[in-house]
Amino acid sequence: MSEYVTLTINGARVRAPRGSSVLDAALEYGICIPHLCHVPGLTPIGACRLCIVEVIKNGKSKVTTSCTLEVEEAMVIKAHTEKILKARKNIAEMLVAEAPNSRAIQDIAVRCGVKEVRYPFRHENCVLCGRCVRICDELWQSKSLGFVGRGLARKVRLPFDERPDYCKRCNACIDICPMTITPCDGPMKKGEEYFCGKCESQLSMAQESPDTCVDCRLGEGFGCVRARK
Amino acid sequence: MSVAITIEALKKQAEEQKKEENKYGKIVTLCAGTGCSASGCLSVLASLRKELKNKKLTKKVKIRTTGCHGFCEQGPLMVIEPGNTFYCHIKPEDIPEIVSETLQNDKIVERLLYTDPASGKRISREKDIPFYKAQERVVLGQNKLVDPCDISDYIANGGYSALIKVLTSMKADEVIKEIKESGLRGRGGGGFSTGKKWEFCRRAEGASKYVICNADEGDPGAYMDRSVLEGNPHAIIEGMLIGAYAIGAEHGYIYVRNEYPLAVKHSKLAVQQAEEIGLLGKNVLGTDFSFDIKLARGGGAFVCGESTALMASLEGKVGEPRPKDIHTTEKGFMDLPTNLNNVETWANVPSIINKGASWFTAKGTAKSKGTKIFALTGKIRNTGLVEVPMGTSLRKIIYDIGGGSATGKRIKAVQTGGPSGGCLPEELFDLPVDFEALTEAGSMVGSGGMVVMDETTCMVDMAKYFLKFLVDESCGKCVPCRVGLSRMLEIIKDITEGRGTEEKLELLKDTAETVSIASLCALGKTAPNPVLSTIKYFRSEYDAHIKEKRCPAGVCRELIHYSIDKEKCKGCGACFKACPHGAIIKKEKTYKIDDAKCQKCGICKEACKFEAVVVK
Repeated sequence: MSEYVTLTINGARVRAPRGSSVLDAALEYGICIPHLCHVPGLTPIGACRLCIVEVIKNGKSKVTTSCTLEVEEAMVIKAHTEKILKARKNIAEMLVAEAPNSRAIQDIAVRCGVKEVRYPFRHENCVLCGRCVRICDELWQSKSLGFVGRGLARKVRLPFDERPDYCKRCNACIDICPMTITPCDGPMKKGEEYFCGKCESQLSMAQESPDTCVDCRLGEGFGCVRARK
Repeated sequence: MSVAITIEALKKQAEEQKKEENKYGKIVTLCAGTGCSASGCLSVLASLRKELKNKKLTKKVKIRTTGCHGFCEQGPLMVIEPGNTFYCHIKPEDIPEIVSETLQNDKIVERLLYTDPASGKRISREKDIPFYKAQERVVLGQNKLVDPCDISDYIANGGYSALIKVLTSMKADEVIKEIKESGLRGRGGGGFSTGKKWEFCRRAEGASKYVICNADEGDPGAYMDRSVLEGNPHAIIEGMLIGAYAIGAEHGYIYVRNEYPLAVKHSKLAVQQAEEIGLLGKNVLGTDFSFDIKLARGGGAFVCGESTALMASLEGKVGEPRPKDIHTTEKGFMDLPTNLNNVETWANVPSIINKGASWFTAKGTAKSKGTKIFALTGKIRNTGLVEVPMGTSLRKIIYDIGGGSATGKRIKAVQTGGPSGGCLPEELFDLPVDFEALTEAGSMVGSGGMVVMDETTCMVDMAKYFLKFLVDESCGKCVPCRVGLSRMLEIIKDITEGRGTEEKLELLKDTAETVSIASLCALGKTAPNPVLSTIKYFRSEYDAHIKEKRCPAGVCRELIHYSIDKEKCKGCGACFKACPHGAIIKKEKTYKIDDAKCQKCGICKEACKFEAVVVK
């Protein structure tokens, strides 16, 4: 069995190591698929659903997240179809309405083409992407953080709300959190949240936003504002 | 022990059991399912036992306490054989009369018979009752033949003969071929070909394999899996044994909700009894095939009915779904190949093996074969479990079997498939009930819930109810389901409380679409169905809420107004006494409602005998 497979993403033939995810393969080639909960090297959970793509198999299309989808030989992926772009934009709109105080999320919303936020803002300080939970467990084998509760009551918590002895105070959870960088104009007050939409003029932000956006032309495919400039 | 002897022994036991049964002159079959237990069948049973003992009839009359017969509306109920006499709404006081008249003198107690509401005639035989007559009870019909707590009863009725057939004369591939040819599709709602699933699991590589019975039924108003597991647990064990043999699995789990105490008790007992006589465990019936079943109790999370969440829960993890890009037939429970089927699917397996695939394909439509059990509830006369061939029209189920509206008001819609199904209007009642037809119409077969609604149901309120249920039951892992559904609930609340706008309705539709496309598991993917289908078929009700700020069904509290019609009011004061909020004031000879105090609870409307309380 060959170690590499060849697949098609948005019409481009892409070679990727067997076992890697479609999202990693796409990013490697500079094909921009927005994502939030994915962190290279950590187990994908498919929670934010921003990286959804269409997989065409036997003439049928199925929507799934590219972070959890393993590459296969002759796979056909369409990452930026109209259906996907619309759903993705809506998800980004939901996210920014949940947590307007994150520059990363505001940035993602802009890049997904959100023009206005139709939902009332909620001022959450966590979007439950689970990056912190996984890095704590998988990188540091610490399991100091976990999810508790179900549905709207779901939260990230320390065991019994106390810092356990096995927490190494490494701060990895804070470094990786998409909520730690506030919008450029500073934190928004409750009740005064807005969709800033300014990040298109702040290209340097690419380093700070929690993904590996390469500011590419291919981003045009999903209506990326940066690419259009 | 050689193979032949053990299997022979089982067959012999079955024959002896049958002979034993023939010694009794009369057999009284008393339903002791959950529905009848709730309406008091246990005291009826105690009274019957006492009476038979007093009259020294215990050797002549056999009492068989069985699982649900389906006609829950009429419980407690019993069938007396020979004669097929059917008594309903039995009270413990009726027992002496039944014993002296029917059991001793073969006379019928007229007043306990079922009265057909259409013709007004009393019907004495169970098979003549329209509710049963229009059905084809392949799976459910077995319930009244067996005592779920007694394995020998099941064996006497031909139980485990399919297992014997498979173990002695069929290869694993032949079993899979038979199931594939039968066209059996997953009865839990997915509708995936059972044979194909087994084949995938058989082909998958793994150190060991698992089969799981999904009995985590959680839809509001649906209880068929519960009734089958309570009434005939051995059929499920036999089905699982056959499946395990075909797939090459060695271990099995029955994942049952802890809220179903009787199902837990009966399946536990059934597994124990099967183990005792060597039907489960090492070397089943002396063959090389080994299989064991463990019982796992679910904690009551709706999402754990989803296969990957169920497996996570079985592993002791939080019951959350995971993406199914790799199927559970390859990597399921403990990352091993796992085949999960619903209770009803498993219960169909033994009959298919015994009677052959062609028997099964003879029923149903081109793509959906066999029969399906539905839980008929809501504003319908005959509430209960019905089993019909796939392709039966909704009209037949609602009017011929269900007996039409219970209130006399026009039936306007039926909600099929539980909280993730859709609402179908009366114009579509001629639709055949099969997987494709219902999905195309924007609903689904789902696990088989059917909630019937009449004119007093507000469709927007109904969509809100199901949405609220799903918001509570969403695991919260993925954004579209957790955030999307709560946003949808927010909007629909606005609509029912008079703050709705056209833009909000558009946003509701957009959000619903995103949730159905992008959610992680089937809970989220199907969750917008109630909203989308009501917008599609009952747009006028949404428009009335949004544009006219009016609830046509008179349900949404913020949009309705109670008043007393002066002409009709006789001044009896019934409403005045009934009102818990002190909102009714005496005015001259009649009464008046104080709007500031009125909580719109509707108690005054129920209390008024002259229909003088008006809701607008």
